[in-house]
Amino acid sequence: MAQNSQVLPGKEATLFRHLVQNYETKQYKKGLKAAEQILRKHPNHGDTQAMKALILSNLGKSDEAFELCKLALKNAMKSHVCWHVYGLLYRQQKNYEEAIKAYRFALRLDPDSQQIQRDLALLQVQMRDYAGYVQSRRQMLQAKPGFRQNWTALAIGLHLSGDLAGAEDVLQKYEESMKHTPSRSDMEHAEAVLYKNSIIAEAGDVQRALEHLDGIYKTALDRTAVMEMKADYLLRLDRRAEAEKMYTKLLKRNPEHRAHYAGLEKALDLDRSTKEDQEKLGQAYHSWAEQSDRIDAARRIPLDFKEGDAFRQHADKYLRRMIKKGIPSTFANLKQLYSDSAKKETIRELVEGYLEEEPQANGGAEQSKPDGQTNGSTKAQIKPPKLDPVTTWQLGVNYFLAQHYDYHLSRDLTKAEKYIEKTISINPAKSDYTYHLTRARILKHRGSISEASQAMNEAREMDLKDRYINTKCAKYQLRNDQNTDAVNTMGLFTRKEAVGGPLGDLLDMQCVWYITEDGESYLRQGKLSLALKRFKAVYDIFETWQEDQFDFHTFSLRKGMVRAYIDMVRWEDRLQEHPFFTRAALSAIRIYLLLHDNPELAKGGGSANGESAEGAAERKKAAKKAKREAEKAEAEKKAKAAAKSQPSKGGEEAETKKEDQDPQGLEAFKLAAEKPLDEAMKYLQPLLELSPKNADAQVAGFEVYIRRKKYLPALRCLLATRALAPEHPKLKEQDDRLKSALDNVSEPLPDKVKQVIDETYLSKLGSKTSAGEGRSDT
Amino acid sequence: MDIRVLHPSDIPHVQQTNITNLPENYFCKYYLYHALSWPQLSYVAVDVSRPKKTPYDAPKIVGYVLAKMEEDPADGVQHGHITSLSVMRTHRRLGLAEKLMRQSQRAMFETYGAVYVSLHVRVSNVAARSLYEDTLGFKNNGTEEKYYADGEDAFSMRKELDYLREEALDEESDEEGGTIGQDEGGEVGSAGKAGDGVDAAKKDKKRKVKVGRGLGVGDLVERNESTATNGIS
Ligand SMILES: CC(C)(COP(=O)(O)OP(=O)(O)OC[C@H]1O[C@@H](n2cnc3c(N)ncnc32)[C@H](O)[C@@H]1OP(=O)(O)O)[C@@H](O)C(=O)NCCC(=O)NCCS
Repeated sequence: MAQNSQVLPGKEATLFRHLVQNYETKQYKKGLKAAEQILRKHPNHGDTQAMKALILSNLGKSDEAFELCKLALKNAMKSHVCWHVYGLLYRQQKNYEEAIKAYRFALRLDPDSQQIQRDLALLQVQMRDYAGYVQSRRQMLQAKPGFRQNWTALAIGLHLSGDLAGAEDVLQKYEESMKHTPSRSDMEHAEAVLYKNSIIAEAGDVQRALEHLDGIYKTALDRTAVMEMKADYLLRLDRRAEAEKMYTKLLKRNPEHRAHYAGLEKALDLDRSTKEDQEKLGQAYHSWAEQSDRIDAARRIPLDFKEGDAFRQHADKYLRRMIKKGIPSTFANLKQLYSDSAKKETIRELVEGYLEEEPQANGGAEQSKPDGQTNGSTKAQIKPPKLDPVTTWQLGVNYFLAQHYDYHLSRDLTKAEKYIEKTISINPAKSDYTYHLTRARILKHRGSISEASQAMNEAREMDLKDRYINTKCAKYQLRNDQNTDAVNTMGLFTRKEAVGGPLGDLLDMQCVWYITEDGESYLRQGKLSLALKRFKAVYDIFETWQEDQFDFHTFSLRKGMVRAYIDMVRWEDRLQEHPFFTRAALSAIRIYLLLHDNPELAKGGGSANGESAEGAAERKKAAKKAKREAEKAEAEKKAKAAAKSQPSKGGEEAETKKEDQDPQGLEAFKLAAEKPLDEAMKYLQPLLELSPKNADAQVAGFEVYIRRKKYLPALRCLLATRALAPEHPKLKEQDDRLKSALDNVSEPLPDKVKQVIDETYLSKLGSKTSAGEGRSDT
Repeated sequence: MDIRVLHPSDIPHVQQTNITNLPENYFCKYYLYHALSWPQLSYVAVDVSRPKKTPYDAPKIVGYVLAKMEEDPADGVQHGHITSLSVMRTHRRLGLAEKLMRQSQRAMFETYGAVYVSLHVRVSNVAARSLYEDTLGFKNNGTEEKYYADGEDAFSMRKELDYLREEALDEESDEEGGTIGQDEGGEVGSAGKAGDGVDAAKKDKKRKVKVGRGLGVGDLVERNESTATNGIS
């Protein structure tokens, strides 16, 4: 009966079609007008209400949109449009689970809708519901078997869900159904075929993968990939002579790819650890290095396996060549060898020996020509004059030694300073800040953080157009807690038009290192609310990166670059494993723990950190300053708001970045203080799930769980830390705390928990009490 | 140092390298757009000599080249474009930039039949100009005034890739006959093009680059590079 009111008469039906069109072409104002026109006559028309809700939500009014859509559903429970829109609203809020439910409803009401099916599939793959995705994709394939994309998509679903044979089969079926051979430049085909090959190999059938690859080898467009795949298969099948040929070919194309050398070594069956093979390897590398003067890898790698005299000779040749060429990154390229103390000593002896040498007589090879003799006039025009060989040599030797004595495995900062001062005194180039940068780093290692920052700023001033030194300078300023200076320094290179100034640009551009360092600096200063705000920003950037994949579920199918897409999906699955995330998360957790232990902190925005009288005075001063700053920010905000009170220009959908309402993070901090441990879990869970071998993550996990009185998970973290880092400084203390917590539990633990704790922990301590029974009698 | 093709998982460090070295920056999605549209063309230089601190250490990227194919070449000629190139100061003059560029150029030719590769460079960028002109053999193709956000002019440079045909023939003579790969420089570009969903964006071709995040891939595709405020190197 209510259904009747849901059928629109001719005129309104036309209007409704316009409304849908308006939505699709993003003419939201027109759409709203049409909707209101319909609703005036048919105030309970569910589909219209739903469409209006959809437009509202696109205009950023999502609360209103939800209200309206719920009303629409009340009016038209059986309308697929309403359910579809309901799903879309949830999707916009990133509540994918609810969105999927709504889409499913919609699909039940309108089983043939391609649009709903597609939207559902998208969410399923985003949520990694592969079973659901495969099902959706089967439907879509059945509906439109003529499109290759539909076959590929199903194969992807099967592949990701672990059904490799099924995936191969689907790709195979499509190939068999093709009426004519695709053209050579058919990228989609070339890529699909390579994809199929990679699935065969992934299933472990290397022999068949190789045979299949041979069939497509010549026509494949991604040359590098097929060659690498072939070399790999040959090696795995122990067809070493052919593998050697293949890797040699690959090395010719890219003589700096380490994996090619590793492959070659295996193909030649040479073992780096035996004396005899070392010699053979040395010869092999020598001949590869001879291919070109510009190859570094073949010259550098032998230093990894050569020993004793052979090492000394090779290192001597290598160092001379690099220093003579004036390559400033020579040390960076060698420092890995320092974990071997004999090699470290040899290198030191060699380079210190160079100090004594007559500069001209080094090595006897031809000197690099001073410029002007080289051909080509453009060269003379744009290249700065080359240094004379003597200066180049002396610069290189002194600079190397400065870095040597600064490096933590060979540190002697007095010597490092001596050599860097010498280097600087020789350096004729006024804008070459390289050596000044190292000078600042040495100061930092001395612990003179503020002088280091000063020195880095001097280095920056030598080349104002270079962002690298600018970046370094900002980093040193942050280490010295000059947060304002740092953001101003960064501001020299950020976009002027960015909303929110330099910091706004850095947030936009996802400059994780800066945000993290800024947060750590605030944490050091006890400005917890600001610190937390920064770590939260890093968390949000990772959310964004996760979100970024969404569009590629469709985009990649159109582009046909399936292997790259699979790579992305797998990366996204482990996204928060990244050290960038771990670092920020550990700091955030620290703050939540402080908040939990001392809820009073919430009042002062977290800056009530100091304990001593001195600290208190300091704190008051800081609080005053913070207040002043907040007031200033507030005033600025108002001024800005007034200045641009005119509506945003142009397109209705124009994305306006919102002004930060809480620049000091005070509001968020108060909220966080309500449930600090729950908040901490958001950061902790990805750590424990994706980086379980990180001891610091386990230590942090213990701290959170013990406060939540979750003794079993706390124990798990403790045992993990013990296994990963038996020497971890927190271990003993956590051990004691767990024991005493278990001795004093206020409610007996569940039997199962008790049993596990007894078996894996208490029984091994020789403790007399068992978990949960040892409450003190007092 | 290791020179290899860029994977999606490299993006956080590539992004960091970029924002450390250059004023023209991009959000993650734009890197993904490159890596998922032309996965063969972008390369990274990895410092393999860093001792690992945890099992989760990401490869330390010290240099990268971010490259693409021109989607809608104005001259109708299939060609590649260098979006961004930089090497950390600590690892310069090792030949990394040159090697990154050469790998990318070869892939442009082999996979997409690119006839030439183009790029923009700041008029004042001595190091980069020397790399392009002297070492790699790019030719200056004219000046684009005020190309960069700060008002500096760019040289528009290009390099023909036909020399790679010779190399391919060389390599092929090692094989047992038959032509390899993209020999005719065909119409590859159109292959992935048909349904690129760019219709809506086509209408406002001249829109300036938006650097917010809320962009769909479609928006990224249609950036009009010649008016880029946020510069494409
Ligand atoms: C330009 C840049 C990428 C070069 O990287 P790189 O790895 O040091 O370059 P390479 O070692 O491969 O150099 C190859 C050749 O380029 C030229 N070159 C490189 N740096 C140079 C410099 N500072 N001065 C003069 N010539 C230079 C030389 O001819 C060099 O060959 P050579 O070392 O045999 O003399 C690097 O300096 C950089 O990242 N700069 C900041 C970012 C930037 O400007 N990017 C380019 C934007 S278009």
